[in-house]
Amino acid sequence: MENKEKGYFALVLHAHLPFIRHPEYEDFLEEDWYFEAMCETYLPLLDIYERMSSENTDFRVTMSLTPPLCNMMSDELLRERFRRYYNQRLELAEKEVVRNRNTQFHEVAKMYERKFRRIRELYEDYYHGNILDGFKKFQDMGKLEIITCGATHGFLPLEIRKEAVYAQVKIAADDYKLRFGRGPRGIWLAECAYNPGDEVYLKANGIRYFFLETHGIIYGSPRPRYGVYAPVYCPSGVAAFSRDMESAHQVWSAEMGYPGDHRYREFYRDLGYDLEYEYIKPYLHQDGVRRNIGMKYYKITGKVGLNEKAAYNPAEAREVAASHAGNFMFNRERQIEHLNGFLGRKPIVVSMYDAELYGHWWYEGVDFLEFLFKKLHYDQKTVKMITPSEYLERHPDNQMIQPSMSSWGDKGYNEVWLNASNDWMYRHLHKAVERMVDMANRFPNADGLLKRALNQCARELMLGMSSDWAFLMTVGTAKTYSTKRFIEHTNRFIGLYEQIMGNRIEEKYLGDIEWRDNIFGHIDYRVFSTGAQERAARGG
Amino acid sequence: MTSSGQMGSKPQQPDSDYKSLPESYGNTEAALLPRDPNWMFLYWEITDNSKANLAREHGHDVFEKARHVVRVYDVTSADSKKYFDIPIMIDARNWYINVPEGGRAYCCEVGLVMPDGRFIGIVKTNTVNLPAGRVSDVTDEKWMSVSSDFDKLLQISGVEYIGKGSGEVAKSLAQRWEMLRSVFSRAASWGVSSLSSQALSKPPAEKKFWLVADCELILYGATEPDALVTVSGRKVNLNPDGTFSMRFALPDGNVDLPIKALSNDETDSRQIEIKVTRTTKNDGK
Repeated sequence: MENKEKGYFALVLHAHLPFIRHPEYEDFLEEDWYFEAMCETYLPLLDIYERMSSENTDFRVTMSLTPPLCNMMSDELLRERFRRYYNQRLELAEKEVVRNRNTQFHEVAKMYERKFRRIRELYEDYYHGNILDGFKKFQDMGKLEIITCGATHGFLPLEIRKEAVYAQVKIAADDYKLRFGRGPRGIWLAECAYNPGDEVYLKANGIRYFFLETHGIIYGSPRPRYGVYAPVYCPSGVAAFSRDMESAHQVWSAEMGYPGDHRYREFYRDLGYDLEYEYIKPYLHQDGVRRNIGMKYYKITGKVGLNEKAAYNPAEAREVAASHAGNFMFNRERQIEHLNGFLGRKPIVVSMYDAELYGHWWYEGVDFLEFLFKKLHYDQKTVKMITPSEYLERHPDNQMIQPSMSSWGDKGYNEVWLNASNDWMYRHLHKAVERMVDMANRFPNADGLLKRALNQCARELMLGMSSDWAFLMTVGTAKTYSTKRFIEHTNRFIGLYEQIMGNRIEEKYLGDIEWRDNIFGHIDYRVFSTGAQERAARGG
Repeated sequence: MTSSGQMGSKPQQPDSDYKSLPESYGNTEAALLPRDPNWMFLYWEITDNSKANLAREHGHDVFEKARHVVRVYDVTSADSKKYFDIPIMIDARNWYINVPEGGRAYCCEVGLVMPDGRFIGIVKTNTVNLPAGRVSDVTDEKWMSVSSDFDKLLQISGVEYIGKGSGEVAKSLAQRWEMLRSVFSRAASWGVSSLSSQALSKPPAEKKFWLVADCELILYGATEPDALVTVSGRKVNLNPDGTFSMRFALPDGNVDLPIKALSNDETDSRQIEIKVTRTTKNDGK
């Protein structure tokens, strides 16, 4: 009965947000990114994992929860602010159900009320404010494989000092152990950005595999026999799985992708702009400026202006999601049958997406996943869902290849993170790394105030390394905020560095920075020492 | 998701450390970063002290007399002595370096070429290995078996049980990938599709031999970080250290680029006008 399948399908969701937490403000706009992703993606994903487990539907998902995200999910201040956020949304949704009685929007208004009630129920009754426990539960059941990411989503190919690469991986692996009770088996390299050789630092942390964009393997050397449909081993023995472009294209393509269906929810028409000002004002930020609040009553409708959109029909949209899931599964079955014959080996099709695509950008995307899991479980035998760890257990023999430098950014290399809008950052970032390494080498056994200052230097440097700042500068979204964040962390690093080197650490200054940037409570600055990196490179 | 980062209400504790980043760090040094198979980014700092030393050794007017260059070395193999020079302005402090061939190792040296051809190196960079950007010519296969804790790392031979596949798989997938890549970038809102510039497209396939070439214009400069700068009347955003750069398409014809800087207190100004003419001749074959 076993081994009837003709190949494997691995779904990989990359969940990440930069560390955004501003205790110095009562109310901070960019913190909404996290609250929105919680309500639209992270909790809805847990919701379907819960439902499928209780229905005994087997499924497999590989999901990165990046260290900044894990730190935000377990932060007390953000926990309180998130409660405030969904309670406000629920209050508005309840009012809306009453206001829209006997209108064409009644169904969609009821949908939001149900949704926010369920959010509250999951967050409070199921996970008691700690949703990492929810993810851990499914990992322990063997359904979900949680992988880590560089500690702050650092873009590794643009680092010059290997101490910085090692620190990104080591801090992440330590943070993972703290939260999930064992070391990570896999890692999502931020932006899928790979620099040949850096995987030795994964190996030193017990990490067995990582992911690449398609050409990372296709352009690897020697030529890969199975293309992207089998993992390869780097010379160090770390495995690399590569992205299947067909399934990526089916979802992502602006013209042909599923999310563009006219019956799906329109992202850009939002109640924050539609409702009467006095009525909506209590749900806006303190500055009272109209913005998206995440509740939307219209469907994409077609190529018409935002004011000509038709009312959203939740039942109709769900039907469409089900049929798209069926189409996606059909395509994977045919693809895998074909590859099986062509390659003479069970192929693995790896589909990688930003987790926030599902639910946040593509509202029905979470429904789509639920339908897909169910259909794969009940309706066919050709395709078996698998995690990379399971695959490597079954198939430990693979071709040895040196993959190519690559990323999943536009044009496939480093340009999104290195262009005229952000190239000015790197001289400052590299200087901070150099100084951090010098300090870690100079003070192998600091304690007291010096140790606190060195640890905070490591936090500031880590936060400055987030690839998000350079990315946001390139796309022009939140450019002011991302520029400010990079400059602030760099200046805080410089301030502390000068105090440390001048032997005049001001406790008040340090305390203030510790209070603002509290990521990685257990950080140990010695992770930046050259000795630690060299030991890792030697495989020790 | 437009943002100011500040929400109107007074912060509980004000930011005490909002200031611009240092303009320099007091070291003569340079670094090289990989961008893609054909481009690298180079930044450098040359201290006044280093400049004074050069002037003492080679004459006070050495920076006026000599050509400023980046010497790009191909260091792929130890015995390769290949290099070429790119003219630069030392005060630009950074440059994008175009190399004809990906898949090789490069390092750069900022320096001066004297009128007699002598090269005076000032500062050298790290080495960068650029990706090849194409399917590998190497088709030898090696296989490995790895246990879950890396305890066992076995190189194995004998691929007979492993299946068919072939070196052609990578080639056909590469074609498909390049095609998909060229027709879509990652989706609208969060992706970077706005970035995609016009790519060089190959002419139709029936001609065997072909050539495409194009050029762009890079404008750069520096002033006080708080100055107001305009290029052709449009405001330019300065980097925190007061530098700026812009990349323009450069069609045939004349381009006028008047650059104006106005001091923050609006009492002083400077102006530079750059005129560029491009003429492209194509043999039409």
